[in-house]
Amino acid sequence: MKFSVDRAVLLKALAHVQSVVERRNTIPILANVMLAAQDGALTLTATDMEIAIVEAVPGVTVTRTGRTTAPAATLYEIVRKLPDAAKVELDHAGGDAPLALRAGRFATSLMVLPVEDFPSMTEGKLPHSFQLAPSLLRELVDRTKFAISTEETRYYLNGIYLHATEVEGQPVLRAVATDGHRLARVEEPLPEGAAGMPGVIIPRKTVNEIRKLADEAQDPIEVRLSDTKIRFTFGAVHLTSKLIDGTFPEYERVIPRGNDKILTVDKKAFADAVSRVAAISSERSRPVKLSLKQDSLTLTASSPDQGQAEEELDGGAVSYGNGPIEIGFQARYLADITDQIESKVEFRFADGSAPTVVVDASKPEALYVLMPMRV
Amino acid sequence: MTREAAPPAPVPVPVRKIIHVDMDAFYASVEQRDDPALRGLPVAVGGSSARGVVAAASYEARRFGVRSAMPSLTARRLCPDLVFVRPRFEVYRAVSEQIRAVFAEHTPQIEPLSLDEAYLDVTENLQGIASATEIAQRIRAAIRERTGLTASAGVSYNKFLAKLASDHRKPDGLFVITPRMGPGFVEDLPVGRFHGIGPKTAARMNRLGIQTGLDLRQQSLAALQAEFGKAGAFYHAIARGEDHRPVQAHRLRKSVGAETTFSQDLAEFAALREALRPLAAKVWEHVARHGLQGRTVTLKVKFSDFRQITRSQSSALPVGSLAELEGIATQLLGGVLPPPRGIRLLGVTLSALGGERDGAAEQMTLAF
Repeated sequence: MKFSVDRAVLLKALAHVQSVVERRNTIPILANVMLAAQDGALTLTATDMEIAIVEAVPGVTVTRTGRTTAPAATLYEIVRKLPDAAKVELDHAGGDAPLALRAGRFATSLMVLPVEDFPSMTEGKLPHSFQLAPSLLRELVDRTKFAISTEETRYYLNGIYLHATEVEGQPVLRAVATDGHRLARVEEPLPEGAAGMPGVIIPRKTVNEIRKLADEAQDPIEVRLSDTKIRFTFGAVHLTSKLIDGTFPEYERVIPRGNDKILTVDKKAFADAVSRVAAISSERSRPVKLSLKQDSLTLTASSPDQGQAEEELDGGAVSYGNGPIEIGFQARYLADITDQIESKVEFRFADGSAPTVVVDASKPEALYVLMPMRV
Repeated sequence: MTREAAPPAPVPVPVRKIIHVDMDAFYASVEQRDDPALRGLPVAVGGSSARGVVAAASYEARRFGVRSAMPSLTARRLCPDLVFVRPRFEVYRAVSEQIRAVFAEHTPQIEPLSLDEAYLDVTENLQGIASATEIAQRIRAAIRERTGLTASAGVSYNKFLAKLASDHRKPDGLFVITPRMGPGFVEDLPVGRFHGIGPKTAARMNRLGIQTGLDLRQQSLAALQAEFGKAGAFYHAIARGEDHRPVQAHRLRKSVGAETTFSQDLAEFAALREALRPLAAKVWEHVARHGLQGRTVTLKVKFSDFRQITRSQSSALPVGSLAELEGIATQLLGGVLPPPRGIRLLGVTLSALGGERDGAAEQMTLAF
């Protein structure tokens, strides 16, 4: 195998694929990227056995076809450090011979491992397919990702649950994540072709990878899935991931319907006040207390070692017309939600110890449920 | 002639009524309850992968010698038809709450040992039932009715004997050890069967010619203390069927730990250090969430031949940050390197925990 390619083009592709490679893996071949040069095209492949990413690299001059595998992180580091305009030549004589890399006066050789040992995630059929605009994918991910559980015993919560459903007769594509303390639910109109898709749980690492790829995407992203695998195609990049084999809980049951005490508050004023008040305590497990009266919201936090802090928001930023409530939340949980809200936050309370619903007053398609702390 | 004064009457020590309740093959029974296709089959709950370990075995599987904590490969060799089922801890926890609710109808004095096992002190009980045996029967019946699962119960006058009793008629049994039977019951028992005497201590006792409870009883307190240190007094007491440990309804958690078995044995410092990080993070997350503080960090290392060592470090002040926890664990790791052979498992534990910090608020959870 022998080919040459612009450093910038190779770097971009390597950045995508090396990101999937597991840093802490114990199987040597999984640290490698597979390079395959055929008929004027280069393909890079990397996998951690859960995710496989395949990227076709454009603008490659192939002088000898062939395939090999080389350490992904090292190759990426080297290419990253080459000068911007460099032309990179990669040459592999075959078999155990090292992979030679030349760029200008720089030359290196990398140990290779046999292509035959490189695992392929057998792909099977992906019968359902639809397209998503990059902006929609970003919204679905951003508004739910923070609530994904990291608790391994509840592995079925370690991802985003994506499924087709109906809201008031309108078909929607819905993403849900929860860690048992809070829940995030967001929906978009159901894309054509997604009707009949199974509900799937997309693992956290996959979510992070597609979120990064969505940042660079301009054209609609193609999504194909079965009940065990999902593939996202971003132009020349194909990312295939296993899905979490588990049952997502019946989340609708924990979304309260009857919360009728409504607080609307200016997002920035609220988020800033929470962050100031919470600074008094470095302990995550301490709540910020919200005390509500007619058109007034007082935030307080205290720490036995450090003292206490209080801030009142009133008529200018706050609208509240129900009886007094006191309720405590973890500051970080409040911040995670307000980060996703544009200008007005709407809280719907039942009482001081019941699940609270939070929505973006201008974007009803996203909804959050937050459990208070027992103070 | 003067009559000698009568010896003072012994202060009557009220006889306690202790019940030990133990669910039968708990995880496996839950799986067989929920999936009729598993009934009658040898079932192991746990990972079936090459490195997995059996968390629980059904009675059908136990007949083949399959035991909990056994490597899945060994279990598979003993019982080629063994059916592996992935554990569903959230279901076990829910069942555990059901059985604790049953206990709570009789006494607030409940000391849970795990999800499926607890001591109850029913000397005074909420329904005023005089017979502890009667209470144990009612508890077993209620558990069966509400969960569809069977439990074994042991009734006696202390925790040690109650536990022996629940083992005696397992599964689905009830056994009572009365104060009169106590000392005799222990006599014939091999010391290895005593709860509180592990396999290592049992082997040591055997080497000293102590095979049974009777042999143990014939040892003087001084001799046992000389040989076994602090534990000597406990052995001296249990050999007589005596155990004064109270049922501790609010036993504080003593340690928080996490461990992982690698898919391939590791030996390199860099890889091992990397492997420690998620473990420390997991321990720290729990500690932070529950507002706990701990002073002792323990590193557990299991080698490819299953030999296991632990290394600990205690400090005067609680470990204050994740970075500190990770630093101490890494330092302990440095002390065992280079390892004599590949390392298959690492564990990190934080112990010497202080109670929850005063006034710590508790995060409520969504009711899935």
